[in-house]
Formats: sequence, C-alpha cells, structure tokens
Amino acid sequence: MTPSRKKSRGTLTPYLFVLPYLIAFTLFRFGPAIAGFLISLTNWNILGTPSIVGLKNYQLLLSDPQFRISLINTAYFMLLTAPPLVLLGLLLALLVDQQLHGRVIARTAIFMPYVVMSTVVGVIWLWVFNKESGILNYYLSLVGIRPIAWLTNTDTAMPGVSIATLWWTVGFNMIIFLAGLQDVPQELEDAARVDGANELAVFRHVTLPLLAPATFVVVMLTLINTFQVFDQIYVMTGGGPSLATLTIIQYLYNQAFESHVLGYGSAVAYIALAVLVALALIQRRVLPEGEA
Amino acid sequence: MKPSPTRMLRRVLLYALLIGATLLAIAPLLWMTSTAFKPEGEIQQYPPHWIPQTPTLENFQYVLTKFAFGRWGLNSLLAALVSTALVLLLDSLAAYAFARLEFRGSQLLYAIVLSMLMVPIQVTIVPLYLEFAAVRLIDTLAAVLLPTTANVTGIFILRQFFRNIPREFEEAARIDGATPFQIWWRIMLPLSRPALMSVAIITFISSWNNFLWPLVVSYSDASRTLPVGIGQFFGGASGASGSAPQFGPVMAAALLATVPAIIVFLILQPYFVRGIAMSGLKG
Repeated sequence: MTPSRKKSRGTLTPYLFVLPYLIAFTLFRFGPAIAGFLISLTNWNILGTPSIVGLKNYQLLLSDPQFRISLINTAYFMLLTAPPLVLLGLLLALLVDQQLHGRVIARTAIFMPYVVMSTVVGVIWLWVFNKESGILNYYLSLVGIRPIAWLTNTDTAMPGVSIATLWWTVGFNMIIFLAGLQDVPQELEDAARVDGANELAVFRHVTLPLLAPATFVVVMLTLINTFQVFDQIYVMTGGGPSLATLTIIQYLYNQAFESHVLGYGSAVAYIALAVLVALALIQRRVLPEGEA
Repeated sequence: MKPSPTRMLRRVLLYALLIGATLLAIAPLLWMTSTAFKPEGEIQQYPPHWIPQTPTLENFQYVLTKFAFGRWGLNSLLAALVSTALVLLLDSLAAYAFARLEFRGSQLLYAIVLSMLMVPIQVTIVPLYLEFAAVRLIDTLAAVLLPTTANVTGIFILRQFFRNIPREFEEAARIDGATPFQIWWRIMLPLSRPALMSVAIITFISSWNNFLWPLVVSYSDASRTLPVGIGQFFGGASGASGSAPQFGPVMAAALLATVPAIIVFLILQPYFVRGIAMSGLKG
C-alpha cells in the first residue's frame, strides 16, 4: 500500500467514528444548551406565538421574590449538605481503610444507599421523618425530645431533606476518597512515622496532599450535585412548607412545566448554568487540582 | 508484645464507629422492609417494632393491582438497557477516534464535548422538551431514553482508557491489513472490558434512577418509569397517598423498586467501585 492511499483513506474514517455520537451530542446536549439561551430571550408560552423580548425575562427575575427565595434556599441546602458530604466522605474512607474486621461489609453497607433511586430515598425518609409514627421521633422521644414535625415545619424541612441527602450520597464520596487513598504509597506514610511524626501529622502532611486529586473531584461533584438538587425534595416536600425548600431547579420546573412560561423558565435555567460555571471556576482557583 | 491500653482503646473506638456507620446506613432500608410487610394497624403502633408481628403481603398486592407497577418497571428496564447499549456503541466509537485517530478538528471537537460536562440536563429540559414535542415523541420511551445517549463521562473514561493501551497491539494488526473498524472491534474493545463494564454500569444506574427529564416527558403508564411512578403517586406532596399517606403500600413499592438494584449492585460491586473511581479520578 502506498503512503498516499493510506492517508486518503485515513481522512474520512475518523469522522465516521465520531459522527453517530456527534449527532446525539448535538441533538440532545449541545443544541439544547445553545437553544436554551435563545428561548430565554423570548416570551415563549405553551400557547400563542412567541416573540423576542430581549433580556426582559432576566430583568423580571431580578425582582422576582420566589426566584430570590429559591436561590437563597439552594445556597442554604448546599451549606447544610456539601461540607458534611465532603468531610464525612473523607472520614468514612479513612475508617474503612483501616485494618479492621468487617470493613468490606461496612464499605458495602455505607455505599448501598447510593444505588437506591432518588424518589425511593424521598419516600423512605418521608416515613422516617413522619411526625406521629416515624421511627426517628420515636428514638428522639426515648431521650426526652418531643415529636418534631420534620418536613412540615419551615425550620426543620431543609435540615430534614439535607439529612436524607447526606445518607443517600455520602457513600459515593467515600468511594472516590478510598480510591485516592489506595494511590497513597504506604512507604511514604511509614517513612514519616519512622521520622517520629504522629498520626495526625502523617495525615496532614503526607496523606492529605496526596489526596488532592480525589479531594478536587469530590468537591467539584458535590457542589454540582447539591446545586442541582430536585428529586428527593420534590418527593418529600414539593418545595414546601411555605416555599421553605423551594430550590432553583424546582423553581425552573414549576415555571416551565406547571406555569408553562417556557421563556421565563429558560432564563432561570441559564442563571443556574451561570452559577454552575462560576462555582467551577472559583473551585479551580481555590483548590489545587493535583496531578491526575 | 501485648497491645498498649491506648492502642486497645483506639481499636475499640474504631470498631464502634465502623458498626455505628454501618447501622445508620442500613437502618432506613431495614425500616422500609419492615414496614412493607406490616398491616396498616401495626404500622401506626406505638412503640414501633422492627420485626412485623403479623406479617402480610397485602401492601404488595395493593401496589401491584392498583398501579401499573410492572409496566413502570418494564419501562425503566427497557430504557436503561437500550440507553446503555447505545452509549457503549456511540461512546466507544467516538472515544477511539479521539484517542487514536488523527483528524482535523479533533482537539476542538473534544474540547466542546468536554465543556458540556458542566451543563447538566436539568438546565436543558425546556429546549429538549420543545424538540421532542416538535417531532411528536412526548410520552414515549424514545423521549425518555434518547437524551441519555449524549453522554460525556463515557467518552472521557473510554478515551482515557484507550490512550493507555500500548500502540503495539494496533500496529501489529495494521501491518496485517486490519482496517480501523476491525482494530476497534477486535483489539480495542476486548482489551477495554473493565472500562466498558464501568461505563455500562454508570449509564445503567443513571438511566434507571433518572427522574426530572422522565417526569417532564411521561404523561401516562405507556412511558412512565419507576422513579416517576413512585415520585408521582407515592410522594408526600402529591398523588394517591393524599394528605395521610398509607406507608405500607408506599414502602412496598419502595422495596420492590430497590431490591433489583441492590442485587445487581452486590453482584457487580467491584465494577461499581471502579466505575466511580474512574469517572472521578480520570482513569
């Protein structure tokens, strides 16, 4: 085979490899991501013909009290869930990494909730948190705490859905940290111990820096996922009581698919996207990516 | 040498934590299981029992006869299987080209694909909905599953894996006159089984659990999946359970939806763990 023939054949083939994927990618991901912005510039409704309104939707959002509540609630949810998800994920990984009997069983058990579907997580915790017959209030009553109306009280609803979320996803972070821990060479930790470092110092100066890639990924995924929370809240409280658990994706869903104002809903989606990108950029600044 | 008291204390503490964490993780699942087998009267009983005293199957009967539960399960299974098969095919083809074949624009295309990692389906549901409405596919399984094929993580994992396969394997085949398609099919895919398995599991699970998008496009049992059925009919804020939910049937439904996932997880656990580690840690 001559080199030129080989080359001419090689120019078309790669495109055939990527084409099927690129069609799906364009139709269902890239295209919609671009179209979403264009729709947000219209007053698209389920009925009637849409017309272009420029940035009016964004202007309206600025003075929309429910939108502001949804942003604040989302930040509150992230504050309640993200730090414990990362810290507990790390601590649990360190725990099941110890030479203990039954650590494999513990690891399996702690990860197990993650394979339960989100809406099932919602109904399970709806029952656990039930005011009259819930198992949680029963155990709290044993230590003298009066029954709490977890999900129907504006003060406890968000902590409630946060506890359910923590239970559901902390195992996922544990697994990523655990994979990171397995890449930490035992000899390095041992060398530090021989040099007289105590356990805390070994962890702080040897283990933690080597875990940087895992930490980066865990923090990033945790921020993205907690920001997008929807499923379990939809099931447990539907955004209530009195909007106490209304988060941004729920607000987007309500606007676009219950009030049917698609242009307005798209503007909510685009602001959500802008926040996501900003979060990623900030994280890149603050946390070292490590070398992965 | 006898272990020192502080070492002993440390071990006792570690075991206490290990057992405590394990119990907290499985307690809600056990409570769900226990409730599913209790008659309504026993569910409201105080103090509650972990072991049902008069176990019954009436909750399961209620769920399976009052709702199209089997249909939802079948829809979920079909959507997850087709979605997984499509993702494996499309992603492995494209990832091979991105990893090994040289072509104009490959860097740019790959960068565009990766940029969408930050764009979750949540923020594209409006345009996606209009797209499927335009071709009259709303309330079909096709609408439920097609968007999952535009998956980015799979491309990322497979490209990384393909790049780490020694080039000698391909070169030997190329000298024997194999085409790129033959190399992809006969060499790259068999060598990448662990990565393919991980992508398959991640895709299957995310499709199986997918909620928001199916909620938007399913209106009837014809396309309703398990998460949507459970969310719509058994949730606190909506549906048949009303203001005073009967937790017996709700927990029976939850148990039915959970058992298959847990069995699959227990069998394929090593792949789960590797898949998560790979998607997280860049192979």
